[in-house]
Amino acid sequence: MIQNLRTEVKKLLKDKKVDIVIGWEKGSLPLSSTPLFIHKEEDVDRLIFDETCRNNLTTYLTKDKRKLGKTYDKVGIIVKGCDARSIVLYSIEQQIKRENIVIIGVPCNGVLEKKKILQKTENEEILELKIDGKNVHLKGRDFDLSIPLNEVLCDSCLTCRYPDAPVHDIFIGKPRKEIDIKDEYKKVTDFEKKSSEERWEYIKEEYSKCIRCYACRNVCPACYCNECFVDQNDPQWIGKTPEVTDSIIFHLIRNLHVAGRCVDCGACVSACPVDLDLRIMNKKVEKEIKERFDYTAGLDINEKPAMASYCENEKQDFIMG
Amino acid sequence: MIKIKKSEFSEFIKNLQKNYSVFAPVTDGKATAFKKIKSADDINNKILNTKRSPKEIFFPQSEVLFQYTERGMEVPKREEKPFAIWGMRNCDTKSLLMLDNVFGEAHQMPKKDMYKDPYWKEKYDNCLVFNLACNEPLSTCFCNWFGGGPFDKTGSDIFVVETDDSYIFEAVSDKGKKFLKEFKTAEEISDKEIKKIEKLKETAESYLAEKQDVSSLFSKTKEIWDEPIWDEIAAKCVNCGACAFVCPTCHCFDVSDEGKGNKGKRIRLWDSCMFAIFTKEASGHNPRSQSTQRVRQRVMHKYNYFMDNYDEHLCTGCGRCVVVCPVNLDIREVIKKILDYKK
Repeated sequence: MIQNLRTEVKKLLKDKKVDIVIGWEKGSLPLSSTPLFIHKEEDVDRLIFDETCRNNLTTYLTKDKRKLGKTYDKVGIIVKGCDARSIVLYSIEQQIKRENIVIIGVPCNGVLEKKKILQKTENEEILELKIDGKNVHLKGRDFDLSIPLNEVLCDSCLTCRYPDAPVHDIFIGKPRKEIDIKDEYKKVTDFEKKSSEERWEYIKEEYSKCIRCYACRNVCPACYCNECFVDQNDPQWIGKTPEVTDSIIFHLIRNLHVAGRCVDCGACVSACPVDLDLRIMNKKVEKEIKERFDYTAGLDINEKPAMASYCENEKQDFIMG
Repeated sequence: MIKIKKSEFSEFIKNLQKNYSVFAPVTDGKATAFKKIKSADDINNKILNTKRSPKEIFFPQSEVLFQYTERGMEVPKREEKPFAIWGMRNCDTKSLLMLDNVFGEAHQMPKKDMYKDPYWKEKYDNCLVFNLACNEPLSTCFCNWFGGGPFDKTGSDIFVVETDDSYIFEAVSDKGKKFLKEFKTAEEISDKEIKKIEKLKETAESYLAEKQDVSSLFSKTKEIWDEPIWDEIAAKCVNCGACAFVCPTCHCFDVSDEGKGNKGKRIRLWDSCMFAIFTKEASGHNPRSQSTQRVRQRVMHKYNYFMDNYDEHLCTGCGRCVVVCPVNLDIREVIKKILDYKK
């Protein structure tokens, strides 16, 4: 697979179909890959794709237009299913011109979640990682561990329906096809069953961990505003302290801003340095939108997004009286 | 040097708490951090690098500077008891000295009449620091690049080595000497134990990755300030503040007023040069509007500007930023890239 990917990318660069290709290379830590920006053919061999390729690289298509939009006319980008759905979002929201992006899909088996792995090793540092098929082998100073891959994949991957890029120009390897997930919203329905006091306690407890570093926002493909509401100080919309009352407003507003746009790529979850459960609320909103409007973000480039369209027969039971 | 048995540790902490508020590394389901403890049971001596650095004890992420009403203003009352921090590592004790350059006394430079921050000084001057040696440094530790080490004592009052059955104490500062002198229950240590410490030190050092010579980092960073290498270094940075907020030496802050009606408070908050708003001026102009400029600023502040002002690099090699960076932009690789760069 990886050889085919490298060959394709080399061809794209050689034929001048793209000016740059964004992919992943081996990172400096055993559990990490790192974004790779390829300008020259000789760098192509650094490309990798495996279960450490957590980053949703599409965030670079909008975050720094000075770097990618203007200097480069044509950008090639390697994507997992969820990443490709972000590009659909960009295209619908007119952040990119679809014809300027060459989407290279790769078959994704899910990516590793650091937090789950560290739970397995009881926070002991991992010095070596090997993945063969369905097992992950971890080596540390005093341990040598083998665990099923399924137990350490991101939650987003475990409930992923669309592992293949729904939109792509090139697809490397064999697509996995749509997966029928039965209990996609199990965590959400379990959460809904709790009393409102219990839910509030959970949310408060989680958001009190936040250090306001905005890593979640900055890696999020749906968060591309030139100026975020938390950064505005004239007027200042929300407090900037790490107190839970301030953090919660940041997170819940962000939650609503990405409603019907979040593709559940898990980028925010894996970026969070303090392991906050950022997914539960996003997934809850996703479920609401699915139930009310039968809309799934990032699948169809021609479909109007849920929050930007109106139908007369939509459920309106939230209107009182 | 004296020692206490591990079995006496709870008692030791209890006694310490009589005169001090004790802070120590704690695991409580949130990010590991130094927190005020109730008893020795709360302490986790296994944590090597807490995720949140102990700088927040002295320089909290948000600190009320004063409160005001129409009748006047008042500075919030601080706890009067002095405090002790148990279990700090060398990379963190060294960082306190660096921060003290900025907020307290300038140690390296003969600038005597510098501004002294009362909020910092009140806490720093009232504190007893126990530096626990790192018997097993992590693969992300690079303290040895910047003159530190797993058994280095710089910045501590009392240096502590954990052996299989005891904690061995060595006084480093005058404050530490005074403390140990008043210690009655502890026993003196034998030559055998001194050898044991030597052995532990050797093993610990062997765990560290190869030392990088950073002696030319200062001049090199100055040389390449306007070179295109910064675009390459900064390309993958997403400009979040994770690195700065876990860093034990980053100390930039913002001041924010929160008021309602005729009362309010002025708060000091951590800020990060990675944020676009950090340098945005009232006119709307932003001298560091681009990601590359901001990444360069952070690297330059650490390895050039701070050296210019205080004769040392603003980095202790704790490796926290290496661990948390969401895009694996590894500062060690940045340093190597800069050192290897040829114009």
